Amino acid sequence: MDKRERVLKTLEMEEPDRVPITELEIEVPIMEAITGKEFSARTSLQMPVVSDPEKEKEKVAIKIETYREVGFDMFVVTLSAPEEWELIERSDGTIVGAWGRVFRLDKDRNQWVPYSTVFDSPDDFHDFEFPKPDDRGWTLGTRYAKKLIGEEMAIASFIRDPFAHAWEMFTPSIFVQWLYQDPEFIEKVIEELTEFNIEIIEKLADTGADLIVSGGDFCEEKGPLVPTKYFKQIIFPNLEKQVKAAHENGIRFVKHTDGNVNPLLDDLAEIVDGVHSLDPTAGVDIGEVKEKYGQDLALMGNVSVDNLANNTPEQIEEETKLCIKKGSPGGGHILSSSNSWAAGAKLENCLKMVKTGKKYGKYPIQ
Amino acid sequence: MEELIILTDQLDRLYDLITEPADTEKVKSAVQELLNSGEDPDDIIGTINEALDEVGTKYKSGEFFLSDLMMAGSSASEATGLLDLYIEESGRKKKGKVVIGTVEGDIHNIGKDINILMLKSEGFEVVDLGVDIPARDFVENVKKEKPDVLGISALLTSTMTKAEEVINALEEAGLREEVKIIIGGRPVNEKFAEEIDADGYAEDAVDGLKTIKSLTQGGN
Repeated sequence: MDKRERVLKTLEMEEPDRVPITELEIEVPIMEAITGKEFSARTSLQMPVVSDPEKEKEKVAIKIETYREVGFDMFVVTLSAPEEWELIERSDGTIVGAWGRVFRLDKDRNQWVPYSTVFDSPDDFHDFEFPKPDDRGWTLGTRYAKKLIGEEMAIASFIRDPFAHAWEMFTPSIFVQWLYQDPEFIEKVIEELTEFNIEIIEKLADTGADLIVSGGDFCEEKGPLVPTKYFKQIIFPNLEKQVKAAHENGIRFVKHTDGNVNPLLDDLAEIVDGVHSLDPTAGVDIGEVKEKYGQDLALMGNVSVDNLANNTPEQIEEETKLCIKKGSPGGGHILSSSNSWAAGAKLENCLKMVKTGKKYGKYPIQ
Repeated sequence: MEELIILTDQLDRLYDLITEPADTEKVKSAVQELLNSGEDPDDIIGTINEALDEVGTKYKSGEFFLSDLMMAGSSASEATGLLDLYIEESGRKKKGKVVIGTVEGDIHNIGKDINILMLKSEGFEVVDLGVDIPARDFVENVKKEKPDVLGISALLTSTMTKAEEVINALEEAGLREEVKIIIGGRPVNEKFAEEIDADGYAEDAVDGLKTIKSLTQGGN
């Protein structure tokens, strides 16, 4: 069974030959360590910032090489920056992203990290010139990945969830003020971002994506970021529209969130095809989720990213074996960390997770 | 007697607005009305703090969400700001001074910012250093501000070790004994706090307030 088939069968909730393995993201220093190649352009985990198409292709290529080297089954590619967007560094060293977030440089990781926002009032939102889904360039990374990978691995295109996008774009403190003062305004913002995503999903499906992974958090350690009534009224109806767009275009839809997702799983199981990251440090037990939702909901996770940073390879092997034992029986499980290979994750631990997954993830798994 | 009942009703309304939680402008209006009616500012501050305590308890129990805590903290802090003039004129002392920041390489600020709002509402003076703060800046600000407590925040496993660098830098500068140190953030725990010689730790903003109050004996 080839890698792509392994992933697609898993998303169909069937048993493949082995549990597929991947990561949503790998930080550049880890990719450099794996491939022995240097990547000079500055990146961001939150938004497309590589405005030079050739550099963007270079980024995709080094990531593909990393995924091949490690032996992952699914390649994950983010949206590329639209051609019209230019990275302009301001006098204070910050940049403004295409969505109005202000970023500053983390020199150690050579990454742009979110810092503040250009939005002080709801009027600023109306005045800001947002990028359009028709702008050229969004799907460059996915197209280039498809060209290099073909059918070798499954391809997941990573987009940002509209709620999480607004939460991040306005900054959490401003978002919360506006949500409580004027929920209709926030609903309108989320609807507009949803319309954008729907058009982008259609384009990504056309360019060869096998599934969509929707990034951005719904939850923190204790539970959902906002009261569940807002999920019911605003967030989930807009999530449903995006999932419908993916399904109408023949591809699957997986929602990522950190934190304690347990209170949202009843609804998510009805809406999406899969959930990532099932954060164990926030009390999510993949075995319990499997038992309750495992018939219909694909699970992606959940080796603790904290443990990848702090534990020994022997401990990671045990954790991975337990994760497979709880999450993999019957299919519907993609093995990954509970976030990404970042935040101090040790390479030897990351590789041990993969090695253990390949050794103990062969079906049938009891 | 009738006037007392009206003021008590207004204090109850203020309490309800913070614990709903309602938006900040409504809370500020309620405080302004109480001040205009001649309510004792100490009773207003007491009510705000009781309400914030309840919100914190409900957040810890899972009844309230992070956004509720953020909203209540923001409203309480803004409302307390209306009382600053009274506090200044009455010669009422702040409960203590806290310098707080997120370590170098870490730009997470939600927990820190909520903690600041709660500290201000409780009557602490707070100097916010911001995020991605190098150890030397923590040291300089301890020297300059002479706080009772230094709060060091780190959300990432990869950055929590920077808290130790801050404490070591304070040792080298001969300032460690001048200030109590609390570390905060999702990955920190009691063991780590002990290992790096911090005086306390907090896994979230609500714990942060409690720990800082205990380190300063509830305020001077």
